[in-house]
Amino acid sequence: MLLFWLVLLPILSSIVAYLNKRRLTGYLLGLTQLLVFFMALITAIDVYTNGTIIYSFGGNAVNIGVNLVADKVNIIFIVLSCAFFPIMLLFNYHKSYMNKLFLFLFLILQGLINGIFLSNDLFNLYALIEVSTITVSILIMYKKTSHSIYDGILYLLINLVSMAFFLLGVGYIYKIFGTLDLTLIKQQLTNVTSTPSLILPYTLIITPIVLKSALLPLPRAHGTPSAPSIVSSVLSGIYVTSSLYLFIKIQDTFSPAIDTASLFLSLGFIISILGFVLALSQNDIRLILTYSTISQVGLIVFGLSLASDYSYYGSIYHLLSHAVFKSTLFLTAGMIIEEYDTRDIRKIRGLFKRMPFVTIIICFALLGISGAPLFNGSISKYLIKKGSDSTQFLEYGLIIINIATITYLMKYTSMFFGSSKKSKTPPLNQKIALISLASLCLLGGIGGQIFINWLFKLNIQIEALQYLEKTIIYILSLGIGYLFYEFIYKKSNFFMTIRQLELSFNELILTITLFFTGLLSYLLLVQ
Amino acid sequence: MEKIFNGESISILLFLIGVYGLLARRNIIKTVIALAIMQSAIILFFLTINYEDGRIPPIGDVTIHTAVDPVPQALMITAIVIGVAVTAVSLTMFISLYHHYGTTNWLKVINKRRED
Repeated sequence: MLLFWLVLLPILSSIVAYLNKRRLTGYLLGLTQLLVFFMALITAIDVYTNGTIIYSFGGNAVNIGVNLVADKVNIIFIVLSCAFFPIMLLFNYHKSYMNKLFLFLFLILQGLINGIFLSNDLFNLYALIEVSTITVSILIMYKKTSHSIYDGILYLLINLVSMAFFLLGVGYIYKIFGTLDLTLIKQQLTNVTSTPSLILPYTLIITPIVLKSALLPLPRAHGTPSAPSIVSSVLSGIYVTSSLYLFIKIQDTFSPAIDTASLFLSLGFIISILGFVLALSQNDIRLILTYSTISQVGLIVFGLSLASDYSYYGSIYHLLSHAVFKSTLFLTAGMIIEEYDTRDIRKIRGLFKRMPFVTIIICFALLGISGAPLFNGSISKYLIKKGSDSTQFLEYGLIIINIATITYLMKYTSMFFGSSKKSKTPPLNQKIALISLASLCLLGGIGGQIFINWLFKLNIQIEALQYLEKTIIYILSLGIGYLFYEFIYKKSNFFMTIRQLELSFNELILTITLFFTGLLSYLLLVQ
Repeated sequence: MEKIFNGESISILLFLIGVYGLLARRNIIKTVIALAIMQSAIILFFLTINYEDGRIPPIGDVTIHTAVDPVPQALMITAIVIGVAVTAVSLTMFISLYHHYGTTNWLKVINKRRED
């Protein structure tokens, strides 16, 4: 199987979709999406039976040309991404703005995201990310309301600036190593005698990736409140996942020379709590979800930085689960906004009476994200916790993060209650899309042990007693979260002040520059 | 003196000028210009990687020892193309933004958004 078809086929289908008439493209897109999905599945089976696949463009030797690499981790993400895009397209099939230009951009984005997962070459990554930035920013401002135009241009410029840092870092890497291939860089890392010379390129490269993977709490720099709901869903689900995968890859390459595990461990915890404070203070349901992404990414980075196989793979599993439940939440949020014609959570009441089907789907996703037993979040959180067993206070840190998650979800559930008259049920295509996502949440939890055993060769046995303990901790966390929400959040003005905070473009750039200089000086001092 | 003013130091200086422009200027057009300055700095940086005096362009029948490294040059052609596209897209978006808000200032745009 040739790996580049996974990138090329969606792009080719987008061109055909752009040139053809609408009636024909429906069938054609369905077919190509199915084809891409099965290709991804076949590649995955191939990788799991025969080991890593490397495709070198132009038939060059591995250390000369540009390579695409499919290994056991990234192929899972590709299968997920190839399953997601058809669901998103199905969900949005009847929308009026789904014209050929939208499809063109959306399918190109699919190809580019697959490319980001597969690419093993730094300059290739730069080009792919840059093009996907342009595509995403056009998709954000697609509806052309004044809010979305501002969000689009802000997203574009901030990411372009950060990618300029990335490219400068790539230049330094080439100067030191004479190659841009990540595998070769890792091999040659042992030959570098002076580690400080690696710090500047590393910092230049990691800063944009940290920004892209939502680890800096700047929501306007990744997901955005005014975009169409499937675009937000793709951004917060798959796109953030691809950036976090890059984070994993870069960390993996440079970790023998530059040790940042303890730094990112504390940063992950801080960001997780900060994301919670920011999410709790918002009234816009889209913004609550966006900040919740930041909080979850903090948890994932926390787990990745723990020195343990269990928490490492637990984080990767959480990354997969996060993509599923966060996109479910964004899609349903889009439906709610359409129905109530507002994004203000205080004005949305009686959701359970008005849209019962949607509420049940939201409940599934909320149970997943808060780590309720039997849902996908519980398996990943259990694994992350298992990795932190050696140190007691890390375990407490995890429980705090989970209580924080539950607290802002309490706020989210406040719109369920109250009275309202029933509206018409959603169309069939949206129902199918949502049910498949919600069942993935449940399936990832029930079959979680089997999946993890199968994918990562990690044998976990969750005993009945542990399950009981987990359930008790979960119920206790629910109680504490509820009390915090009722008695501290509602009586405090602190959250009100945070809500008013909005950074302008220059301040956002300042934040990025400060992060960059902070990281640089920390590494120079420690080394 | 030659050692201090080489391609690398000049390009870093240009890059920092670009960063200053992004931090200190509130005009959106000037932001796009600052971004273009940063891109030029990066192109200069790449082209001077591993450059030594007396090297010739890698065209035609030259031995590997006398020619400059062709990879950065090939990369920069791509980067220039991306840079042009990026500038065009940002300016187009700026025109739309200007039609909606009637200002070129980042802060005024934020203030008008709050009023909406």
